[in-house]
Amino acid sequence: MKLRARLAVTLGLAAISLLVFLGWAQSRWQSKMRVDALAEAAVHRMESGGRERCEANPERWPGDRGARRLRRPPGPPRQGLPRHRVFAYDANFVSANPDSPAFPSELAKQLKAGSEVATDRSPDQRRTVVAVRMPWNDGPCSVLLMRSKGPPPWFSGAVLMPAFLVALVVILVALFAAGPIVRRVRQLTDSVHRIGSDSEEPIHVEGSDEIAELGAAFEQSRQTIQAQLASLREREAALRNYIANTTHDVMLPLSVLQGHLASLQQRIEAGDALDTKAFVPSLEESQYLGSLLHNLNAVARLEANDGLSHRDPIDLNRLVERVVDRHQPIAKRKQISLDLAVPETAIEFPGDLTLLEQALGNIVQNAIRYNHADGHAAVILEGSAQRWTLRVVDDGPGVSHADRERVVEPSFRGSEARTRHPHGMGLGLHIASDVAKRHGLRLELRDTDGGGLTVELIHAG
Amino acid sequence: MSNRILLVEDDVALGQQVVQTLSQAGFEPHWVQDGDAARDLDPDDYRVIVLDLMLPGTYGMDLLKRYRVKSEVPVLILSARDDTADKIRGLKLGADDYVTKPFFPEELVARIQACLRRPNLVGTQRLVIGAIQVDLERREVSNAAGALSLTPVEFEILALLARRKSSAVTREALVDAALDPAQDGSRRTLDVHISRLRSKLGKDAIQLETVWGIGYRLSGGA
Repeated sequence: MKLRARLAVTLGLAAISLLVFLGWAQSRWQSKMRVDALAEAAVHRMESGGRERCEANPERWPGDRGARRLRRPPGPPRQGLPRHRVFAYDANFVSANPDSPAFPSELAKQLKAGSEVATDRSPDQRRTVVAVRMPWNDGPCSVLLMRSKGPPPWFSGAVLMPAFLVALVVILVALFAAGPIVRRVRQLTDSVHRIGSDSEEPIHVEGSDEIAELGAAFEQSRQTIQAQLASLREREAALRNYIANTTHDVMLPLSVLQGHLASLQQRIEAGDALDTKAFVPSLEESQYLGSLLHNLNAVARLEANDGLSHRDPIDLNRLVERVVDRHQPIAKRKQISLDLAVPETAIEFPGDLTLLEQALGNIVQNAIRYNHADGHAAVILEGSAQRWTLRVVDDGPGVSHADRERVVEPSFRGSEARTRHPHGMGLGLHIASDVAKRHGLRLELRDTDGGGLTVELIHAG
Repeated sequence: MSNRILLVEDDVALGQQVVQTLSQAGFEPHWVQDGDAARDLDPDDYRVIVLDLMLPGTYGMDLLKRYRVKSEVPVLILSARDDTADKIRGLKLGADDYVTKPFFPEELVARIQACLRRPNLVGTQRLVIGAIQVDLERREVSNAAGALSLTPVEFEILALLARRKSSAVTREALVDAALDPAQDGSRRTLDVHISRLRSKLGKDAIQLETVWGIGYRLSGGA
């Protein structure tokens, strides 16, 4: 059932119930007033000469039809004194007038119980019967019985019809009055339906009632949902961008690798004598490709702020050994010496194993990749768990002072950072810098004595 | 003990490549391609186990747990996943090291050799490097020809290098260990002592190498 109909029916039923109750109460009140008026009029009539007339001729009292009516007592007019007939009885409820009806036993019982006035309604609710004991107990006129037409019963048409008419009016008024409420609810419903769409239209319901509060609550939810949708779209765009960039980043070295391999094949087909150095560019490019994928993975984790989800005690000695072993093959092929030195006692440091290894790997890779044949690179770990320095030294071309600050900025967003840097630093040092920062380490670049670059990761304790 | 290496790797191309690499490096590889086949092998039949994690059948990590219950054989994890949690879990479960794919064959061999390296000679009183013997307690050094006369500084330098045989030792560590900073604790002084030590040890028995950017390394001998 719609709200408007439900409201009208509810109000109509409430109006009917209320009016029927009022009709019943009014009927009861009128009935009581009628009894009181009859009793008072009876006593007054008998005390003002009626007793003498009755006792003088009890067989005929009250005589003709006109005399059967009690006169109103003096004083302010009393409402509710109806037309009635009166009969006289002695103390034993026996009438000397043969036309008098038998005294009702129920009323006799009430008077015998001590009541001055007894009343009853006829079974058909159409007559009111009132018996009044006179202030005297002797003689044939010590009890009067009055019969009158009763008040309309409370459930009669006279009561119910107005009630139904009023209810009808109430229903119509309710239907009319509910219109604005229903319109606001519909407006709210339409607004809520638009939440899931691209509509930026806010939900606004005028007023300060519960519907307006509901509208405000929906508006708050709408804003939350819109913010989440925007965040999802942003992440989706970032993911698409990441995939596009990754594809580009991977395709480039892959193309270079394919070019190297194709060139090798052509030279073999042409009968060229190839030495092992001819394969170095291909091997180097394949290693770069692997490293690039690890770096892209690191970038994804750092951008998702997942950089330090794992902080476990890391054996830095083993980490240095692993990184050097990983880069040793390509260093040898490029005729670059790569050595390491670690303390006798292993240094443990809490951190993310993958990210720290990747950071150091990037620094070592740069030291090899951009070094010259017969060049040198060394990885040195010194200090203790409380205070240590991890140093990568090379005698390559180095990095200009102007570029140093830029390559260690802990930001690798943007296309520039993703491309091969003119000085060869590319993504690697940016990642190393970011990882260092997240681990509370300091990354410093300085000249190597005699030429080259020294990169230090410093844990100052 | 034999040089048997258990390789548990499901990828055929990579497996063949690793088998070839290990064979060329002087090992005897035994290759199984799924976890279930590796379950019931006795780990103590091998010197090192090279274990891939993503295997058909029993998962690599479960194999590692199973091996560790009854054996201390070195286990080297091969991982294609660049996932810290996997590496840490593997190391905590008792793996000795891991190698992340892709890798050069030499890298794998180097890591296997690192796994096979026994605990160094720290704590022992007598070090032997080729023909050179260093008695740490008596502070005596000798070669095939007899006792060598070393100064206290030269002895400290040799002792430190001998303890870290085949590993580079930084100049700073050598200066700290052997020189008195109040008197002659400079790097240049160290170079003088190294030069004298080289001439006393001779060139044939062992090599006292200069390592660029680091310091020195004692190598050679068995």
